[in-house]
Amino acid sequence: MKHIVKIMALLVALSAVWISLLQTSVLPKSCTWLLPLYFIVSLGCYGLLMVGVGLMQFPTCPHEAILLQQDVVEAKEFLKGKGVDVGAN
Amino acid sequence: MELADRAVGLLLSVISLSIFTYYTFWIIILPFVDSDHFVHKYFLPQEYAIFIPVYAGVALICFLSIFIGYVMLKSKKKKA
Repeated sequence: MKHIVKIMALLVALSAVWISLLQTSVLPKSCTWLLPLYFIVSLGCYGLLMVGVGLMQFPTCPHEAILLQQDVVEAKEFLKGKGVDVGAN
Repeated sequence: MELADRAVGLLLSVISLSIFTYYTFWIIILPFVDSDHFVHKYFLPQEYAIFIPVYAGVALICFLSIFIGYVMLKSKKKKA
């Protein structure tokens, strides 16, 4: 419940800032009308950018991949020795 | 494998950066430029700057709701 109240308060504060910008005409009016849309689009762009950057910097650990494959082979042989057939190759 | 991931990541970042700079130019800088400057040729009229993101947002919401509805129907059919 408190979380929703926090988010609502943030939204109300942002809309108050926008309406006050409209009333006092610091920027030209056509610019102020497009400002929320601009922020939404830039937020989407920022999310996309973070996804791209995270993809580029993702660590792959090739050494651990090889060890994992060895573990898988070992486990398959062990299970086959016990009589369970896991062969999904 | 990781090269393909890096290429996709780079492509995504480039696309997002280009969309951001184009949109910033469109909305913020272009109203302050004289209307017979040559750079106005490269940008569509300003109504499109509102129309295209709103249309994309509505299309995204429609697609998401269709997808959720489809998944819910499929799971209900499997249970019954």
